[in-house]
Formats: sequence, C-alpha cells, structure tokens
Amino acid sequence: MWWTIGIVSINLITLLFYPSFADAQELNDLFLDNNMMKAFIGDIPDLTSPEGFLDSQLFFLLIPLLFIAFSITQGTGAIAGEEEKGTLDVLVSLPISRQWLLLHKLISMFVTLLILSLMTLASLVTGAIIVSMEISFYNLSAAILNVFGLSLLFGTLGFTIGSSTGKRGTSIGISGGIAVLSYFINALAPAVEGLEHARHLSAFYYYIGNDPILNGINITDICVLFSLSLAFCISAFISFNRRDLGT
Amino acid sequence: MDNVIETKNLSKSYGDILAISNIDLEIPKGQVFGYLGPNGAGKTTTIKLLMDFIRPTKGTAKIFGLDSRENSVDIKKKVGYLPGDIVLYDQMTGNELLKYFCNMRKQSDWQFVIKLAERLDVNLEMKIKKLSRGNRQKLGLIQAFMHKPELIIMDEPSSGLDPLLQQEFYTMVDEVKSDGRTIFISSHILPEVERICDQVGIIREGKLITVEQVNNLKNRSIQELEIHFGSNVSKEKFTKIPGLKSIHMDNTILFCTVIGSPDLLIKTAACFEVTKIISHQPSLEDVFLSYYGEQPTNVE
Repeated sequence: MWWTIGIVSINLITLLFYPSFADAQELNDLFLDNNMMKAFIGDIPDLTSPEGFLDSQLFFLLIPLLFIAFSITQGTGAIAGEEEKGTLDVLVSLPISRQWLLLHKLISMFVTLLILSLMTLASLVTGAIIVSMEISFYNLSAAILNVFGLSLLFGTLGFTIGSSTGKRGTSIGISGGIAVLSYFINALAPAVEGLEHARHLSAFYYYIGNDPILNGINITDICVLFSLSLAFCISAFISFNRRDLGT
Repeated sequence: MDNVIETKNLSKSYGDILAISNIDLEIPKGQVFGYLGPNGAGKTTTIKLLMDFIRPTKGTAKIFGLDSRENSVDIKKKVGYLPGDIVLYDQMTGNELLKYFCNMRKQSDWQFVIKLAERLDVNLEMKIKKLSRGNRQKLGLIQAFMHKPELIIMDEPSSGLDPLLQQEFYTMVDEVKSDGRTIFISSHILPEVERICDQVGIIREGKLITVEQVNNLKNRSIQELEIHFGSNVSKEKFTKIPGLKSIHMDNTILFCTVIGSPDLLIKTAACFEVTKIISHQPSLEDVFLSYYGEQPTNVE
C-alpha cells in the first residue's frame, strides 16, 4: 500500500512540472549532447514533448528503479525471507506441497505487481489530464506493460535465487546487481562503443530500447521479458523441491 | 502392533560431517516416545528428516506406513508439529494465526482451539510480536494439538512454559495417549521424559545408543545404595571397587551409586557389621549420564 501511495504521488507531482518543461526548448540544447546525462534520462530526441518528458523524468530511471526495488523485495522475501526469519518451519509442516507454497507466493507477487502497475497507469492518466498533456493512452499502457514485465523479471529472479539458496541477502545482492548492470549496459550503449552488442543482453533494452511510449507494444520485447520470468519460475520450482530447507 | 514411525538406516551427512548415522526406530501406535540426547546429538536432524524438511543421505523413514518424502502431504494431514524455538508471524494475532492454520488444514473445530487457549492461558487477541516467548510457545502447542492429529512431533515442547503450565501440557499429552494417538518428543528435561514417556531412545553423536522402556532404563544397571554399619568404617575400603561412584561416608552410613553388579560391594560390606541396606530408585539423570560418561565407542 505504501509503495503504491509513494509511486502514485511521485507520478502526479512529476507530471505537474510538465507545463514548465513543455515550453523550455533550451533544455534540449542543454542536455541532448551530454552523453553522461543520457545515461540517466535516455537517448531522447525531444525532452519537451510529452513522450520525451515521460521517458526522461519517469520511465527511463525512476519508475523502473522503484518497481524493481519493490519486486526484488517481494521476490526475495517470499521464501528466503521466511526461511531466514524461521517462519518457514511451521508453514511447511502444514499439509501443503512445496510446489503449492511456491505457486501461491508467486501468484501473490504477480498480483501485487499488477495492482501497482495499474495504479501507476491510473496516476499517469490522471496527471496527464490535469496538465492537459497529449499522450496516447495505448502507448502509455504499453510502457506500463513493459514496466510490469521488467519488474516481474527481476522479482522472479530474486525469488528464484532466494528459494534456491534460502538467503535473502545473497538474493537481493545478486538480483539487484544484475539489475544495475543491466541498466547501465542499456543506458551507456548509445555512447560507448562496444556496448552496442551487449545491449541485447540487457533486460532494460527489452523494456525501453524500442521506446513503447512512442511506438506502442513490441511483441518481441514482451515475449522476452515474460518468458525469462517464466524460466526463472520453473527454475525455482525445480531447485526448491530438491533442496534441504535450512529451517 | 502397527508402527506409526519406522526408520531404517536413516542417515544424514553434510559433506564430511555425519549428522546422524543408521538410526533405526520403530514407534508403535499409542506410545509416547522420548528422544533424548545432548545438544548437537542429532535429535532435531532426525525430526527434520521425519517432517521432510531435509532429505536423507541414506535410509528411509516411514510414517503411517507412508514414505516421508513421497507422501509428505498426506502424512502432514495427520501430524501436528512443534519446532524447537518456534517463530511465528509477528504481525498477526494468535486468533488470526490459528484461523489461518485451521483454514490450511481444513479444520473447523474452533471451539476446541478456544478450549486449548483457555487451558494454556494465552491471549489470542494480542499481536504475536507483543507476546513473551512462553506465550508464543503456547501458541505453538495449540497449533500442534488443535486438529487432534494421529501423531504429534515436538522438539523441546515445554521450553518456556512455567511449572504450572508444564503440568497442563503433561495432561494434554496423557489425553492424547489415552485417545490411542502417538507422540514423538525430543527433550533434554529428564523428569519430563520420566513423567510422560513410555519408551526412550538415547542418541549421542548421531548414533542411537539404546531404546528402552522408561522403567527398564531407570532400573537397569544403576543402583543408589545406602549401607548402614554398626560402627565407623573407613571409606577407603570401598574406593577401589569397580563400578562404584559417588562414594560418601557419613559417620556409619555409606552412600554410593553402583553401576552394574553390586556383588563386590556387598561382599566388602559384609566384612563389617551391616545394620541396614536401603536401595533408592535412581533418577533418569543418573541413567542418562551413564550413557554420556565414559561411553565405549562401539555400542549396540
């Protein structure tokens, strides 16, 4: 709940600044030739357009950062968190299979992320209406779908590492580290020679590389994000079923 | 008689470390079985293997004739479990937690749950994070007993309970037993094992040293004797007798503990005027310590 309130508030407040941005053409002159800035706001042709504003202020860094932090917290806490706290003992003594337990934890994470995504979409639509921003609802939805897919990917990664190791700290470290690396590979690729080829290894490329806020849904991107999440889930089922629980 | 718990060569190792080795247990229905051992002996490892929290390196475990791993879910429908150092969900109240477990177990006898809570004097309205360790233990006992399982497995169950509630717990155990159900309890509280168990298995360094009826264990091989003499006798006359421990001479009375046959002691005492011999029933602690003391490494 608090995450939802926080993200919704950030979105609304950010959008309130749009009218000032819309008229500030000098921002393009200031930032668009600056490769270091592009690592944090994206390689965007026009910062003052609605799409450019949303990408640079929210979609490139802030929203995925918040979503991934939330999903990794959820994912790593689901099994590893319980195991480290010691509550897993009594839970697995109930007449439920390990697969059932994992499935329900995953469903819970999925639904929570979905609600967060929908609330984020609602807050952006509301904010856009308030500041009279002309933006395609379809493209906005496509961008949110990608946010959902990206955060689900890292959430399931954290979940898999957590349920395989039983160690929350390790899970957060590895999945968070991969997320950061993935972000920078994608963000720096336009400016750094040699990183262009590595860009396709970054989850962020499939999240924002084809700019859904401008171009709508990219089926390939969606398939990559969701199929990787599915692969992580399957891996979690296999490893959790086999290992000793360190209760 | 059907065995509720049956293990054959049950072993668990972690790399080079052998946690338990070749544990063979047969626990019949309706028995209260005590599993005794010092810290690190392998009691909790055995319990975790029975509950399918960990998987054996070798051997098998069966509960109700079902394999503990393959049929784990079916087994757990009829098992109540209390871990050592129970940790519960801090943000829930006792009510919420027990209702959650009832739903998971598809159990609907909420009145029985309330009755248990009243017997153990625990406040179900308070958030668990505000409960003392003893009260959390009580909640743990309730969730283990509330669905009237065929088998209850408990690891150090009365830890954290005050003496009055320990008695209430013992009464609960007696009720389960008279209902024809089975209890497996690991403990290091010897008077507790003495009070409630029918049979005791002693585990040490991962090996099952012996399984005995509690009465046999108490009676076997250890005797506490009090020999009254007609006049002062030197304690040194008795100090070299093998198997004689805790020798203490109080004027004309010799107090001692004999392990094994008292024959040499009696023959030595008979050299003097003996006015009375009193034999005290040994405590299980003395029996227990005889297995922990100079224990030969090869034991049956």
